[in-house]
Amino acid sequence: MRARAVEEAIPTFCAMCGPGPGCGIYAHVRDGRFAWVEGMRESPLNRGRLCAKAYAAPEWVYSPQRLKHPLRRTGEKGEGKFEPVSWDRALDLIAGRLKEQKEKYGPESLAVLAPARRTYSDFLNRFLVAHGSPNYGHSGICAMQKAFAFSYTLGGTPFPDIGRSNLVVIWGKQPVYSGSTRSNLKDILDARDRGARIVAIKPTMEPDVALCDLWIPIRPGTDAAFALAVLHTVVGENLYDAAFVSEWTYGFEELKDHVRKYTPDWAERITGVAAKQIVHFARLYASVKPACIDHGNGLEHAPSSNDAVRAVAILTAITGNLDRPGGDVFPSGGGMPRPKSPGIKDHYTSEWIDRLVGPEFPKPFQPWMEGTSSAYYRIIESVLTEKPYPVRTIISPGTQPAVSTRGTRNVLAALEKLDFYVVVDVMQTADMRYADVVIPVASMYETDHPFEFTPDWIMARRRVIEPLGDYKSDYEFWFDLAVKMGYGKDFWGGRIESCMNDLLEPLQLTMEELRKHPTGIVFPRKPPVYEKYAAVFTRRSTRLSREPFLPQGKVAIYNTTFEEHGFEPLPVWVEPPESLTGTPELAGRYPLVFSDFHTSKVYNAGWLRNLPCLREVLPYPTLQMHPDAARPRGICNGDWVTVESPHGSMKIRAEVNEGIRPDTVMALHGWWQGCEELGLPGFPLLDGGANTNSMYSVDARKAYDPLTTAMSSQTLVEVKKAD
Amino acid sequence: MGRQYGFYIRTERCVQCHACELACNSCNGVERGLQWRKVMDLWRGRFPDVSNRSFSFGCAHCGRPVCVEVCPEGAISKRKDGIVVVDPGKCVGCRTCGDACPFGVPQYGQNGIMQKCDLCRERLERGRQPACAETCPGEALKFGPIDDLVREADGKPAFLLVAPTEPSVLISGGLTNDEIMGLFEFHG
Repeated sequence: MRARAVEEAIPTFCAMCGPGPGCGIYAHVRDGRFAWVEGMRESPLNRGRLCAKAYAAPEWVYSPQRLKHPLRRTGEKGEGKFEPVSWDRALDLIAGRLKEQKEKYGPESLAVLAPARRTYSDFLNRFLVAHGSPNYGHSGICAMQKAFAFSYTLGGTPFPDIGRSNLVVIWGKQPVYSGSTRSNLKDILDARDRGARIVAIKPTMEPDVALCDLWIPIRPGTDAAFALAVLHTVVGENLYDAAFVSEWTYGFEELKDHVRKYTPDWAERITGVAAKQIVHFARLYASVKPACIDHGNGLEHAPSSNDAVRAVAILTAITGNLDRPGGDVFPSGGGMPRPKSPGIKDHYTSEWIDRLVGPEFPKPFQPWMEGTSSAYYRIIESVLTEKPYPVRTIISPGTQPAVSTRGTRNVLAALEKLDFYVVVDVMQTADMRYADVVIPVASMYETDHPFEFTPDWIMARRRVIEPLGDYKSDYEFWFDLAVKMGYGKDFWGGRIESCMNDLLEPLQLTMEELRKHPTGIVFPRKPPVYEKYAAVFTRRSTRLSREPFLPQGKVAIYNTTFEEHGFEPLPVWVEPPESLTGTPELAGRYPLVFSDFHTSKVYNAGWLRNLPCLREVLPYPTLQMHPDAARPRGICNGDWVTVESPHGSMKIRAEVNEGIRPDTVMALHGWWQGCEELGLPGFPLLDGGANTNSMYSVDARKAYDPLTTAMSSQTLVEVKKAD
Repeated sequence: MGRQYGFYIRTERCVQCHACELACNSCNGVERGLQWRKVMDLWRGRFPDVSNRSFSFGCAHCGRPVCVEVCPEGAISKRKDGIVVVDPGKCVGCRTCGDACPFGVPQYGQNGIMQKCDLCRERLERGRQPACAETCPGEALKFGPIDDLVREADGKPAFLLVAPTEPSVLISGGLTNDEIMGLFEFHG
């Protein structure tokens, strides 16, 4: 038993996941050491609850893999030989190179790869704007792609009003592994307790699916086909809300004709879901009122991603479930005045957009919500192809291209060829051995900024312990670099406190005043407002022209904006680069569908495997497979297996259970780290490792959504017992 | 008459997030490799009619704790509030309790002394709940006097776990007594 004599509990935010503000925690410090955490009951966000990851914070902060001193490369690229330099010297090296390249190649020769969205993301964009580069490298696997399809179909992204719903559809979403402490999971469980029906559409039985009334085990990446067949049934059987359709939608007649060919029998072949189950789902969703769809990023990992989301949006609208109690609703906003955004968005011009090295969204649709952006993978490809021009410097703050984007072989070749590579991180990264300069940054437990907020809660981050090495925060890196580059006037003269105070101005607060509220300020919640159609359907878009998202002021079932720019006006089905139905010629050699999970109960993306308390829960990368797939291959639960696709191979352990389609196998993405304390190994980035990103096609014509550059995560594989 | 504290495990709300395990380890400073609380999974059925249920289990603070009975040193006792505690000064690490417990609860760390869940008794004294129950995102794990929990569950399909030691555990969510006891069959 531990004595708990001299202990201080410091209220602050958890920093073990993102995006958005962390949950409120009390960080307990004993004898100057960050010892343990517990949930903050005063936080309206997590109400005292925390997930498993939150408790690993002290192990993260004190990990032997922490970066503590800025490093400069002394050996060859990829060799991993560095010498320590001071913070100031490291920033001089970066600023010197950026100035030289800006002069010689233009400012667009710099690209910053975006991490999973954090509060500092806007400052990366701000730096790029100050520098003159449009190349914010965003990866097409998270909410931005979904928001795009929703905005150009409905005027905005609706969210499920689970608390008032009688049917909740969890579609391509993981409410347990993502934000389990937020209201979403509790709302689903409460809904179930009061008798609402819960349906899950996803390929495997995850913990949330285990609690459902109906599981629709769909083949990975075929959500668009499934949704089109559901539309076929809803339209064909007149299950739609005729009044809403006639008043608030544009192009329903065209949809009627269009979906006639997408029969449930057609979809059964593609999705692997029985036609009668598709029809059953369509009738259920259209008849139980109100019904909501809790849509997740799983919809965004396919070349048909944009159309999958559009089809879901159309389904929500025509069944009368849009912005009505218990349906999918547009946020009404909180009771708190919103702090200013640190993004600079009024600098954009068509000349600026023309300089994008590889637009994430087509140029006519730039800028999007975060600003102008190039696709993460297209920035990397530009280094190899030099088309339209090669990016010369890449800065990776809190992101690891070698495990975070498709085509690991290309990524490593590009990093090898790249003129200048800067890694900015808390922890050693998968590709830092290619870096010219490595910048260590403080964990968010070692800084006293920024403030973070939800629509009804705002709190200042507090420093839990002093920094353990020669480093500052992510924010200070960009502020200091901006000053060295001569962009100080855009960065509050390099003073973070001034910046924070400026952003807080709408609340008539300063950071100092905010800090006087240790657990922050909670604002009263505003009652929701429904049926805001007239306002939402006329919203202006983010494009330069600011033309509205919906030109007709109605739900764009038939999308004239997309049509005008050469894209499909109605949602269509596009096969993944490799699939049982799209490339049957490959199915002999590679008979199983492969995809990956994006989230896990204890890990984030390519992180946290080095923390013993989490690694004990999931010690090895696994391939989930059905007994009917395992048995004929002589594979038993726990065996090491080789998974081979047309593009790469992995060696991981079999996890055999009934909770997956027999024709599909799935693995968790992001494995590379070892865990020193437990003596558990790390894994190679390429063949024989555990990197799912090495398994997929990077064929420019097949692997990405043609409109939103969403990246597919489906291929075909064969699995063998490893020697 | 003292109280008997216990847990109400609503397996229909347990989502296998393991937060309870980590909260327990973190709050109690449990040494690496040991766990006072475990989340266990139970698969049933064949694809696609499958169910996967899980529940979180620590010490059951049994009404008739066999560990207390068998301890040759008298190191384990049951307090008036029902909490079964070990006196580390008396325990000699003979592991008799570990062999006897039907749930495999007793753990032995580097010092060899038995350790296990004590319902976060220091927190209880401060008016708080055990760390596992406080953190549970699904509110699957409820803590309190077992009589109160039984009253709360009135009308719901919940039952007190049946075992010779009379565990202070109320369970709902469709798992049977046999299924749950089956998860522990390698113990006791």
